[in-house]
Amino acid sequence: MVTAEAYAAAAGLVERSAAAYVSGVPEEPADAGFFGPGSVTWRVSTDLGRPVAGLRALMLQALHPLAMAGVDQHSNWREDPVGRLAATSGYLATITFGDRAAAERAAARVRRIHEHITGTDTITGQRYEASDPALLLWVHATLVESGVVAAGMFGTPLSAPDADRYVAEMVAAADLVGVPAGQVPGSLSDLESYLTASRSGLRCTPAAAESMAYLLDPPGLDEDIAEIWADIREGVVAALPSWAQDMYDYPAAPLTPARQTEIRQALGVLDAVFLGEPGMLEARQRITLRMRAARQA
Amino acid sequence: MKRAGAAHLRAARRRRAFAGATIAAAVAAALILIRRRSGGRARLRLRRGIAALRLAARGGARYASNAPRMFAAAGENRERLRTDLALQTAEDVAVTLGAMKGVLMKLGQMASYVDDGLSPAVRRTLSRLQDSVPPMSPELAAGVIAEELGLPPERAFARWDPEPIAAASIGQVHRAMTHDGRAVAVKVQYPGIAESMAADLDNVALLRRMLKVTVPSQDVDALVTELRDRVLEELDYRREAENQRLFAAYYAGHPTIRVPVIVGELSARRVVTSELSTGARFAALAGWSQAERNLAGETIYRFVFRSLYDAHAFNGDPHPGNYLFHGDGRVTFLDYGLVKRFSDVELGPLIHMVRNLCVDNDPEAFRRAMEEAGFLVRGAPLSTEVIVDHMAVFYQLVRESAPLTVTPDYASAVVRRFFDLRSPVAAYVAIPRSYVILQRINLGLFALLGELNATANWREIAEEIWPFIRAPASTPIGEAEAAWRASRAATGSLA
Repeated sequence: MVTAEAYAAAAGLVERSAAAYVSGVPEEPADAGFFGPGSVTWRVSTDLGRPVAGLRALMLQALHPLAMAGVDQHSNWREDPVGRLAATSGYLATITFGDRAAAERAAARVRRIHEHITGTDTITGQRYEASDPALLLWVHATLVESGVVAAGMFGTPLSAPDADRYVAEMVAAADLVGVPAGQVPGSLSDLESYLTASRSGLRCTPAAAESMAYLLDPPGLDEDIAEIWADIREGVVAALPSWAQDMYDYPAAPLTPARQTEIRQALGVLDAVFLGEPGMLEARQRITLRMRAARQA
Repeated sequence: MKRAGAAHLRAARRRRAFAGATIAAAVAAALILIRRRSGGRARLRLRRGIAALRLAARGGARYASNAPRMFAAAGENRERLRTDLALQTAEDVAVTLGAMKGVLMKLGQMASYVDDGLSPAVRRTLSRLQDSVPPMSPELAAGVIAEELGLPPERAFARWDPEPIAAASIGQVHRAMTHDGRAVAVKVQYPGIAESMAADLDNVALLRRMLKVTVPSQDVDALVTELRDRVLEELDYRREAENQRLFAAYYAGHPTIRVPVIVGELSARRVVTSELSTGARFAALAGWSQAERNLAGETIYRFVFRSLYDAHAFNGDPHPGNYLFHGDGRVTFLDYGLVKRFSDVELGPLIHMVRNLCVDNDPEAFRRAMEEAGFLVRGAPLSTEVIVDHMAVFYQLVRESAPLTVTPDYASAVVRRFFDLRSPVAAYVAIPRSYVILQRINLGLFALLGELNATANWREIAEEIWPFIRAPASTPIGEAEAAWRASRAATGSLA
């Protein structure tokens, strides 16, 4: 059953996400990690559209009833949604920018947690296990595709070969959480086919509707973020495929170029706010220096 | 194409006037630029290129004896810039300063004069944003010079230091030496920044939201419009060069106020070249005697109010980085990107207010002047005494004739009062658009004098300057200034 339990306030979203991110960007990595500073993955991970990509991915992931049930029934999502988002942000930073050992440690921790998450979805009556590669693949695929879409709409668009490279590079991320590499789409067209084929199993459960309504308009968000969030929310919804907008009943007209620019500007402001968090500028500079060195090599 | 053809002809004529393989090669480079881009802009570039060549031809003719020394000394002041993070391409600039970040940085710079009005989180964000902008790589900066002046920097100048000596708003400063031997500071704008900031400044709704957060006072709309206009102006360095030229002309020969002279031939939309000045930075004044600091404070005070009352212009950037100190009260005033000119109509109420309150001691007239200027809502249900009490802190320096020290505590009390929304007066006080910058710069002036702990009889100095008094000199600097004023042909106004 969906409980009427209220979500905790979203205060501290920026502070905690930034802190988790900073801790994922090492000062002295032992190696280049699973992707390396010359990868498309690093570029997408530092793209202006990244917050839209993350939120869009969450919205798509939530449409999978079993993925949503796992989060809803097991995680501390309702009690500490901000902590849950910050943890995800930290995990992604670690597997992207950390060295291999750090990425493997973080992934092992996630796999261990997943082992204990099993149950029955009350809506569909289906059993689920969080370590099920099929579920993990859905989460992976939506994240990767969202990265491509958000960069295209609000950041620096990827060329077709770069988008394919990105999808192929990210197979390693799926592998880390336990999806056998052979099952993971390795090109953008394979990824899109997989997403289309998965649509029949999706539905907007009350838990999904409720969670995403929270995410798009988090109560208690710090005042200086709340207004910017309104622009970013519009960007996230506009970036969703129309079938997903329909499922959520968030109809959205295509963005005008002017509106798209305004949302990009709001993302810039959000980025500036993140830069003001302790250690964030230094973490960015570490990343930039390594990307610079890779570009020159 | 016809225009470009005429330019070709002119260029060819000039080419005949010069000799030497270097010059011919440079003209060829300028012609290549022409061929690539036709129309008015290309002509402008060619003109710049020719101007630079003309200087080249005069090379060595007038080698100022101290220029090489200044050139070297300016390098010693080099700020610590993260050259390892230098922006290498226009795309790097777009990523770092596009999407509102350049605008935020600029607003942050302005807002930094009024620190006390900002929440710690916002202040941190804005100051980090300023730290976050790396310099341009030597190649990127050289590219801007070549586009603007029509020649690469090593040709446009006799000597060019590829390492910047300072960060500037939306650009950086290089030292160089002109072909006629002048040591100069060359401010170079980040490529693409003007276009992206102009587009970002169109998003007034977002600016308003940001400023509501950063400056929690009641005049957000006026502030947005005024700041937007001023920042837009600042994107075109030609305007800054023009302002600086006017200030330099106005203060030419002044005993303690120095304004570096603009080198017009080497200035353009994204490049301003001016005389290189060396002197002590603001931070170094901490080690100077209090007597010296007082003199520096006096000159800054005179500069601000002479500019306002006599020249009807206000150089709106009291950033500590915009001053160089030379001892004996001599100060060089740098950076004219944010200049506000005032009409008589705009200036009138300010004069009335100070006169009514400080000279005539007529609180009711003061209140009426405030109302007429739009500073105070008419018929506010407040006693005049309460209003005067609220406003008095802004005039405290000049209400009585006595030596007064501007302490840091006093400076922050002024700022706190300005942002004190709990005061019963706050709800009825407004700042008309024309005065928005002035008010904030005024706060910056207080902060600066407070840092210096400057002592002077500010009232007596003010009386020298107030147009309704024009008292005789009250200090040695005042005497030297009076002699300077007497020797000037005409007291022309900047406005």
